Amino acid sequence: MDSQIHKIHQQLANKEITCTSLVQEKLDLLKQNTNNTVNSLLDTLALSLAAKVDAKIKKGETIGLLEGIPFGIKDVYMLQGTTATASSNLLKNYKSAYTATAIQKLLDAGAIPLAKENCDSFGHGSSSENTIFGAVKNAINPDLVGGGSSGGSAVNVAKDYTVFSIGGDTGGSVRQPAGYNHVYGLKPTYGRISRFGLMAYASSTDCVGPIAKSVEDIRIVLNVMSGKDIKDQTTYASAEINEDSILTSTEIKTVGYFKNFIESEAINPEIKTEFLATIEKIKAKGIVVKELDFFKSDILVSTYYTLAMAETASNLSRLDGSNYGNRIEDKSLKESYAITRSENFSEETKRRIVGGNQVLSQGFSDEIYLKGLALRDSISESFEKDFKEVDVILSPVTPNTPPKIGNSLKDPHAMYLSDAYTVGFSLGQLPTLTIPQGTETGLQITAAKNNDELVLKFANFLKDTI
Amino acid sequence: MSKIMTVDVLSSIKGAQPSEAVNKLFEVIKNANSTNNNSFNNNHNNCVSLNDLREDVVIESSAIEKQIIIENFPKEKNGYLVVSKVIEE
Repeated sequence: MDSQIHKIHQQLANKEITCTSLVQEKLDLLKQNTNNTVNSLLDTLALSLAAKVDAKIKKGETIGLLEGIPFGIKDVYMLQGTTATASSNLLKNYKSAYTATAIQKLLDAGAIPLAKENCDSFGHGSSSENTIFGAVKNAINPDLVGGGSSGGSAVNVAKDYTVFSIGGDTGGSVRQPAGYNHVYGLKPTYGRISRFGLMAYASSTDCVGPIAKSVEDIRIVLNVMSGKDIKDQTTYASAEINEDSILTSTEIKTVGYFKNFIESEAINPEIKTEFLATIEKIKAKGIVVKELDFFKSDILVSTYYTLAMAETASNLSRLDGSNYGNRIEDKSLKESYAITRSENFSEETKRRIVGGNQVLSQGFSDEIYLKGLALRDSISESFEKDFKEVDVILSPVTPNTPPKIGNSLKDPHAMYLSDAYTVGFSLGQLPTLTIPQGTETGLQITAAKNNDELVLKFANFLKDTI
Repeated sequence: MSKIMTVDVLSSIKGAQPSEAVNKLFEVIKNANSTNNNSFNNNHNNCVSLNDLREDVVIESSAIEKQIIIENFPKEKNGYLVVSKVIEE
C-alpha cells in the first residue's frame, strides 16, 4: 500500500477534506469498534487540534506533512492531562503529569492523537488479553487474538481507525501484533527514539515503535520521533532517512536466515513453506542467501524473560499506591503496599515480578541472572559476526498463526515460547521491521545496529519482489 | 543481615509463589552453555560518556504538572497528602 500520510496531506492541502471531518470520522470508527482497541478516546483534544489545522488551511498557510494526521497511542505513554492506565487496575485512574518525548515530537509536528490504545498490562503479554479493558480482537478474524502487547495499536492501523499508531516493543510487542494483523511495525535500534515518558517494562530492551500501512509512513514517523534526548541518556543522534534513499537497495547483496528457526519442530508447516518460497524468490533476484547458525529458541526465550522479569520487578516496585495509583489502605504502610499490589496487578504481571525477584535473589543471581547477562553478550557477539557476512537477516515473525482468544492465558509457558523469533533481536538491540508479506504472520527484516535505513530499503525491495 | 526473605515479601505481593511456567525458563538458563562467563566484560553497554552528562541543575516542573501530581495522590486531608502509618521496625 502507498503512503496514507502523503495522500491525506494532499487532500487536506487541496481542501478536498477538512481535518475536522477526517478526525470526527476516525473518532466515530474508534468509538463504535467492537475489537476492544480503545482504552480512552481523546475526542475533545483531537477536535480542538483539528479545528486549528482547518483554520490554518483556510488562511492559506502551508501545513507540515504530519499536520492534521490522526494517530493512536499505546496506553503506556504519557500524554499530559490524559489517563495512562497501562491497561491495569492499579493505574486505571492515573493522569499523565507530563508528555513522553516521542509523543511530544509528533504533537509538535502537528499530528493529532485520537485514542489511548488497549494492550497487555504493562506490556506483559503476547496477545493483548492481559488487560482490564477486554481482550483485543484480531483485525482479520475477531475470534483470534490481536497479538501483543501492542495489540490495540496494530488492530487500529489494520482497520484504518488510525493512520499510524505508536506501540512499544520490548521483546516483540510491535512486530508480533503487526504480523498478526498484516501491517508494518518497526522496532528501531535501541536508543534511536527516547523512552522518556514510556512506562518502563524492561529498560534495556524497551523501544518506541511505529505501526503503519506502508514503509514510507514508517519512515516519516520514525524520522520525527528519532534523536538524542537529555531525558533518556541511552539515546543517540541519528541521521534523517531520506525518501529517495530507501527506494533502491543495490547495496544489499547477501541475506542470511537462521537455519534452526526454520528447521524447528515448533514451526507451523505452512509458515515454513512460505518462508522458504520467499527465500527462493530472493535468490532468483541474484541475491546470495546464507544459512546462519544461531542460539536455540528456548535459550533465546529464557534469556530474554530472565532479564526482562528482573528489570520489570525493579521497574514496577515503584507502583505501591503511596504517591499515585489505586491505593488500598491497610494497618501499616508495608501491609498497604502488599495489599495494593496483590489486588491491583494481574496474574501475569505478578508472575513476572515474582520471577524477577527470584533471579535477583542471593543464591540465584549467579546461576540465573548473571548467566542470562553473559548469554545476552554471546547473542550480541553472534549478531556482530553474522553482520560481517550478511547485509540483512530475514526471519519469520512467529512460529505459528494467532491463537484463539482464551488459549494463551491458559498456558503462559507456551505464550513465552511464541516469542521465539522476536526476542533475540531485542536482546541484540537491533533494528527489525515486520512486513505484512512472505508468511501468514509476515516477515522480519533485521540489520546491524543503527542501520535502520537498510531495513527500510530491503522492505521496499521485498514489496516489489514477493 | 542474614534474614531470609521469601518472594512474596520481596515482591510485596501477598501469597506470591514461584510459578511452574517461569521456573521452566530458568532451568534452561541453568543448563545452557555460555562461551562468555564474564558478563561485565562486554562492549554492549549503553553508558553515557562523562563528557556528555547533562547539567546537574534542578528543573522546575510546570504548574499544570504539579497540579496533576497532587490530583493523582490517593488521599488528602486538611490540605496534606496522607500515607498509611509508617513502618515501625
